Amino acid sequence: MSIEPRIGPHGRDDDLTRALRSLYAAPSDDAYWTTLAGRIMARIGGEAVVEQWWQPLARFARIGLVAAAVALVAARIALSRDAARQTAIAYDGVIETPATAPLQLATDRTPGSARDATLRYVISP
Amino acid sequence: MHAALSLHTAQHVPEPSTEWSARTRERDLIVAAQHGDRDAFAELVTLHQRRAYAVARAITATHEDAEDAVQEGFLHAYRALDRFRPEQAFGAWLHRIVANAALDIGRRRRVRDADTLSDSVALPFRDPAEHDELRRRLAEGLEGLSQRQRSVIVLHDVEGFTHGEIGSMLGIPEGTARSDLHHARAALRRTLGDLWSQR
Repeated sequence: MSIEPRIGPHGRDDDLTRALRSLYAAPSDDAYWTTLAGRIMARIGGEAVVEQWWQPLARFARIGLVAAAVALVAARIALSRDAARQTAIAYDGVIETPATAPLQLATDRTPGSARDATLRYVISP
Repeated sequence: MHAALSLHTAQHVPEPSTEWSARTRERDLIVAAQHGDRDAFAELVTLHQRRAYAVARAITATHEDAEDAVQEGFLHAYRALDRFRPEQAFGAWLHRIVANAALDIGRRRRVRDADTLSDSVALPFRDPAEHDELRRRLAEGLEGLSQRQRSVIVLHDVEGFTHGEIGSMLGIPEGTARSDLHHARAALRRTLGDLWSQR
């Protein structure tokens, strides 16, 4: 047997919609809604009490975060200055060749490279 | 006849001035609640709880879960109230929050009650007509649907939300809501078909 639903506006099947509405009808008793609203507000009230308790901590946390950020910036500046000083020292160490280096080469008697032999020949009396 | 028709129209379509003043009143309540006025939020709860319940009931399996979802939803909304922008529609914003709470509860319940699926579509708590054949068959038919299809058909056919609104609430494309509705209707008609043909 074929099913011939009574289709209403918006494509609704009127019988089906009526049956669904009876199944999913919200409570009609006003007292129920008053109680539910009271329960919702009681939960929100509890939430507000908790908020009041941790709100000062949250303010401290904000101050702490700002202080940590300032300390971080200061440490970074100090580190970058120290790094610049270290770089300058290292650079000076490289470019300032000791004045005794040629004499050390001249007195080195051990057999070495051809360059050393040439040097010894040039500076020998 | 004409007078009855006018009265009927007046009951369902609010006059523009009434609607305007209601919106203004709602906006005032929202602003007051955003500034910490809890009485204002209580009034918003009173204004919106029935519709919020309808949204939650369409998604959850039982009346008790719907109640929990409504409470969770309002609590989330209260916490997020400072992020609500006045140009938004408060109802739509709240319904999305309540729908999310209902979906969360549904997910938790499915995990908890994985072995008791036969109770997944309970009849409303205050309904005495449990032996009514139509309701029993309808409940059976609804059990055969996916949770999303069930939510879509109830939100559309019972509560009158549009496909777009349903898609926004459930986090699915409008076309998916449309398709779910079509399949859910067809499945329920098949389940109830022979019952109706006997009338």
